[in-house]
Amino acid sequence: MLLWLTYMSASSQKTDVWQGTMALMVLKTLETMGPQHGYGIARRIEQISGDRLQLNYGSVYPALLRLEHEGAIRSEWGISENNRKAKYYRITRTGQKQLRRELASWEETSAIVARFLTAGEEMP
Amino acid sequence: MKRLRAMIARLAGLFQKDFRDRELRDEFESHLEMHIDDNVRAGMSPEEARRQALVKFGGLEAAKESVRETARLRWIETTVQDIRYALRGLRLNPGFAATAILSLALGIGSSLAIFTVADNLLVRPLPYPGASELAMLFEVNPHRNFNHNVVSPGNYFDWKAQNTVFESIGGFFELHEVVSDGKRAEEIDGQAVSSDVLPLLRAQPVRGRVFTQQEDAADARVAVISYRLWQDWFGGDETVLGRTVQLNSRPFTIIGVLPPDFYFNSRSIDVWLTLGLNPSANLRKTQGRWMSTVARLKPGVSFKQAQAQMDAIGHRLEIAYPAFDKNWGINVEPMRDSLVGQVKTSLLVLLGAVALLLAVACANVANLLLARYSVRRREMAVRGALGAARWRLIRQLLTESLVLGLVGGILGILLAELAVSGLVALAPKELTHSVEVSFDARIIAFSFLLCIATSVLFGLAPALLASSGNLNRALHEESRLATGAGTRLRSWLVAAEIACSVALLAGAGLLFRTLLGLQAVDPGIKTDNVLTFRVGLPSVRYSEPQKRIDFFQRGVEQMKQLPGVRSASAVSYLPFNGLAAGTNVAIAGRPPAKPGEDLIATIRTVEPGYFSAMGIPFTSGRDFTAGDNQLSTPHRFIVNQEFVRKYMPGEEPVGKQISAWMDRDNPFGEIVGVVGDVKEGTLDHEPTPTVYYIHAHLSYGGMMFVLRADHNPLSLAGPARKIVQSLDPELTVADVRTMDTVVRETYARQQFSAVLLAGFSFASLLLAGIGIYGVLSYSVSQRTREIGVRVALGAEPGSIIRLVVSAGARLAVAGAAVGLAGALALSGLMKTLLFGIGPRDPLTFVAAPLVLLAVAMAASYVPARRAARLSPVEALRTE
Repeated sequence: MLLWLTYMSASSQKTDVWQGTMALMVLKTLETMGPQHGYGIARRIEQISGDRLQLNYGSVYPALLRLEHEGAIRSEWGISENNRKAKYYRITRTGQKQLRRELASWEETSAIVARFLTAGEEMP
Repeated sequence: MKRLRAMIARLAGLFQKDFRDRELRDEFESHLEMHIDDNVRAGMSPEEARRQALVKFGGLEAAKESVRETARLRWIETTVQDIRYALRGLRLNPGFAATAILSLALGIGSSLAIFTVADNLLVRPLPYPGASELAMLFEVNPHRNFNHNVVSPGNYFDWKAQNTVFESIGGFFELHEVVSDGKRAEEIDGQAVSSDVLPLLRAQPVRGRVFTQQEDAADARVAVISYRLWQDWFGGDETVLGRTVQLNSRPFTIIGVLPPDFYFNSRSIDVWLTLGLNPSANLRKTQGRWMSTVARLKPGVSFKQAQAQMDAIGHRLEIAYPAFDKNWGINVEPMRDSLVGQVKTSLLVLLGAVALLLAVACANVANLLLARYSVRRREMAVRGALGAARWRLIRQLLTESLVLGLVGGILGILLAELAVSGLVALAPKELTHSVEVSFDARIIAFSFLLCIATSVLFGLAPALLASSGNLNRALHEESRLATGAGTRLRSWLVAAEIACSVALLAGAGLLFRTLLGLQAVDPGIKTDNVLTFRVGLPSVRYSEPQKRIDFFQRGVEQMKQLPGVRSASAVSYLPFNGLAAGTNVAIAGRPPAKPGEDLIATIRTVEPGYFSAMGIPFTSGRDFTAGDNQLSTPHRFIVNQEFVRKYMPGEEPVGKQISAWMDRDNPFGEIVGVVGDVKEGTLDHEPTPTVYYIHAHLSYGGMMFVLRADHNPLSLAGPARKIVQSLDPELTVADVRTMDTVVRETYARQQFSAVLLAGFSFASLLLAGIGIYGVLSYSVSQRTREIGVRVALGAEPGSIIRLVVSAGARLAVAGAAVGLAGALALSGLMKTLLFGIGPRDPLTFVAAPLVLLAVAMAASYVPARRAARLSPVEALRTE
């Protein structure tokens, strides 16, 4: 599977789906790795996907802003491992709850889709 | 609503945009640098590393725009959410919402209404181009305390000739004209103007032209008419120019029509005629002071310079004509001051009062919001702990107060619109006759600004307070305890409300005492059941004095025969109705008066029976008889007591010979009677020395009939009109009023201010009461446990009530003391509005705080009783 993810303008119909997915990945990343800057988050998402996800790094930022507004993450300026000034994001308790909720719903959705697809293969 | 939301978004955007953009730029920069570092470490050249990083990032500008777009969307979403939340909150607390919205509507509505009127009268430019250069000129006589006297035509021509500060000076006076076309007749108001007046006002006729100098000098029979007259009498006919109109039975040629919105000095003028004065005649010998003057300053000349030069001219005239001008000077007054006159002080007082009321309303709403937010502190704390940012909470609270402010504001605007029409209807004529009062878009804009400012102002303090402090502590507090700061702030607010209310109440008290004082003044006449109306005889057909004498004699005789009429007569000028004639008098056997020390008296000419019809008593002598009312009988006079007191002290006036200079020949005549004094002009003015002529010897063509009825005087208007028209079908009856109305109009201004101020203070009392009640009931609910303990330990209900009421009393006393001090400091400004009492009237200043204390006690008693009734078991069980 190769997903080409590009910037979606606000008017795009696919925004919600894309934003939901991206938000889920960002939250999961922050939960596993702890506080991280935007560059680190983007790299991590790319690495985890085994480079099968071609990601424009810039596209994590709208998602980060949205999550911050929702209170799921918080940000503050800090110093990176290479001594660069960077903005760090950290998941909040609200964010953790949101992550668990969305993971559950994601798993349910993918389970249904998976079962549906498997059922299709068994058709004669 | 939509526009408002967009505006708020723009405003917030202004503050946030710059900051956010900078933040974003920094973040992207640091992102790229980290990426470049990694790429270099992976072995790329610095240029390649940078290029790769940029490619991977996917376009900086596009990313920025995408972030911005997200932020904008979020903003709108949150706002909608906040508003929905706020509306739900208000629906759940209808009592709170209603009180807050009503407070605001009241405060904003009343201030808007008064502001509209004040704006129209004091701020808005007069409807003349370059109106700030326009002046009214008056003669002044400091020795007699005349500040706005009419002008002598002789002096007027000398002013015109000698001054260099005015572009031009024009003379005018107002008169009544009966316009008729043979089929119908109507009395209209007219202005006789010199040829300078309309040009200096820059009046632009919509048809035709205005008067030339030649027409003015020759007193040509030409007329300029109002737009209304053109429409009503000529159907807007385009051929109206050059047509003839009959005014007081004389033909005039119409040469121009003025625009519909043009007016000068009085809004009711429908026709302008030439003044027809010429400088040649010895006007100081033949005429007194009778005309008004208006002038336009030359560009660049200040009022001060103009006044200085006119002072010099006045001084020269005093020396040149001592007999006529001794002690007389000239007053140059900006036109607006003349038109607005005394109303200005009333309006400024009302503006001040309205500011106080608005302050009380805002304090009340802030108080309500504070109370509400202290209860909701815990909720805020929980939301804060769950990750809601502090600014987000503040924003939500602000939205709530904005919604309140807006709803209150819209209601307030509706209220103001009602109030303005009410105000104009209620307002004294002098306030509305010369200036138009309208409600316009700028004022709506102003009120919206006011709403937003008020809501932000009163929303911000509670919002900051409610969201401040250690959220953790708030969470751990076992009960809904508010911060001490909140309670203190609320107490301050209530004390401020009380202070403002005391000041308002004191102002209203002073005006009401003035009003009562005025109503208690004996006007010198019996005003009940008297009908008055004016009849003017056209001078062409009634040029013979005998005709005028006969007409009014016959008129009065027939009026007396009407059923329900007790007595009837007529007089040249009603008392309490503005103008009256005045002139020099002489007493036989005395040397002529020194210049500037002449004896001056008000002159009225009457038909026999005037004094009994008006209810003016005789102190000695007799009334005029029908025999006196003939051209052939010698002059006879009746004077008032003030005349005797001032000019003939210690003498027996009846039988003495006097003369009053009203005509070419002023033969001496015998005083046949002395009558009681009648106040002149208004009730707070002292009576002036007055000489009454019998109509035969001063046969005015325009007289006011005076009919004393058994009851319901207005029912006589119809029959009286029939009599007038049976005597001369072309005559009209005008100004039909009862004497009660005439007198009441003289204190309409005081009544108007008093009623308004009373309304304001009532509203503010109510608000202050609500404020005290709110603070105390909150503190009672907060101290439920403590009170429970006290009751359990054996405290009597009385002592609990004392505990709570004394807390209220402390607030009230502190507020009242401040309010009292403020009111005492400010009341001096009202001095000119008061009558019979000083600006520090002790009764008012004792009563005002007492009333407030009573209200405060009443408001505290309700929560106090609730506290006293607490069952200790239940009280201790709360939380």
